[in-house]
Amino acid sequence: MKKLEGKVAVITGGSSGIGLATAKRFVEDGAHVVITGRREKELKEAAALIDSNVTTVVGDVSRLDDLDRLYAVVKEKHGHIDILFANAGAGTIAPLAVATEAHFDQTFDVNVKGLFFTVQKALPLLRDGGSVILTSSVSNVLGLPGFSAYAASKAAVRNFARAWTLELKDRNIRVNAMSPGPIETPALETTTGLTPEQARQAAAQFASQIPMGRRGKPDEVAAAVMFLASDESSYITGLDLAVDGGMAQV
Amino acid sequence: MGKLEGKVAVVTGGATGIGLAAAKRFIEEGAFVFIVGRRQEALDNALADLGANARAVKGSVSDLTDLDRLYAAVKDEYGTLDIVFANAGAGSQLRLGEITAEHIDETFDTNVKGTIFTVQKALPLMREGGSIILTGSSAGTTGAPGMTAYSASKAAVRNLAKTWAEDLKGTGIRVNVLSPGATATELAKEALGEAGQKVFASMTPLQRMADPAEIGAVAAFLASSDSSFMTASEVAVDGGLAQL
Repeated sequence: MKKLEGKVAVITGGSSGIGLATAKRFVEDGAHVVITGRREKELKEAAALIDSNVTTVVGDVSRLDDLDRLYAVVKEKHGHIDILFANAGAGTIAPLAVATEAHFDQTFDVNVKGLFFTVQKALPLLRDGGSVILTSSVSNVLGLPGFSAYAASKAAVRNFARAWTLELKDRNIRVNAMSPGPIETPALETTTGLTPEQARQAAAQFASQIPMGRRGKPDEVAAAVMFLASDESSYITGLDLAVDGGMAQV
Repeated sequence: MGKLEGKVAVVTGGATGIGLAAAKRFIEEGAFVFIVGRRQEALDNALADLGANARAVKGSVSDLTDLDRLYAAVKDEYGTLDIVFANAGAGSQLRLGEITAEHIDETFDTNVKGTIFTVQKALPLMREGGSIILTGSSAGTTGAPGMTAYSASKAAVRNLAKTWAEDLKGTGIRVNVLSPGATATELAKEALGEAGQKVFASMTPLQRMADPAEIGAVAAFLASSDSSFMTASEVAVDGGLAQL
């Protein structure tokens, strides 16, 4: 039997990168996935790639109304959630000296507030014994110039996993953070505000800082998320699982 | 198909507890496993349990000639090695004030020196795609009465993986630490008794001790390509014990 046979999974930020790779992996392993993202066209294309057992809901995790709509769809279609992958994130690069209020607010609205309410609003549908996975980042323990708001927001996410582990333990719901290092996703070029040339240079520089000598692939992160979603990690909770080629470990 | 199909693995401390559970899981996933342990009777029992895809080598990881015999046996039969689970460990408790030189030597000989040479002597047989897993402990990050030697030795193990990820750069061999919390091995159940088991369960956010098979499942994850972008990581399998 497949590891996630018949399970219902919700994935935010599911239209590209890590979220999309994970949605594909979950479906291959027997799950039904509901993916959400802000851009309808990308979301539809993602659903076409995933092919089967996928539902899309357009929405922004930083808008509470959108989250309500998301979970209304999940409730109507499946009635419950087994796995929640709170993965949507934002990360423009801005050095302290020039960062704007809008930059700060956007980062924390999506990464912290959005993730907080993504989980809170899922609770009524989450089955006892379920698994919640929060996308943090290696930057939760690393200093990187230009990433201060992002890094702080991801440290907040890592700490959500600690408190929620205790708050949800009586329902036997496990909560873990997962911290990717630099991954070969479109995000570096599309969301950070870098030019293609700057993105290429940043990618090369990241690779030089990673003991494995390369960036990760979305499928490699998906495999780790799959591990946290399944019973293979039944005794793991409150953890920050680094999937970073060693970048923040040495 | 299993996720370790055709792989060859060494599991030290493999006759009982976490090592045996991991060996069992590796075999279920398609691997051939060499288990190492000091007691012949325990090895015999383990082999009876593990079936045809296992061999036993009697020896102590703190004895370098035993390690040489182990890897000679692996080389003779398979020529290469994909997975090393350096899991053998020792841990008696003495409070500060009572610590003896023998106690420190015994703990560090097995947990630190033994782990270092278990891995160093395996390297000539390993190749790209190989995975090394070191058994750490939640005690490596937390303090507990009487655990001076044990917790220091396990903190050392966690740090070995950091250096080795750099030393192994370019080889395609990954190294990670698996740090169990309170695990209901036969040995632990006997040592703790009913009351002690309840104490450990109540200290743990998940409110129970681990089944050794749950640790074995994580070892299989770290051994397999599912963890292909992980190196130098510590994966705590502790029900949240040392995470909050």
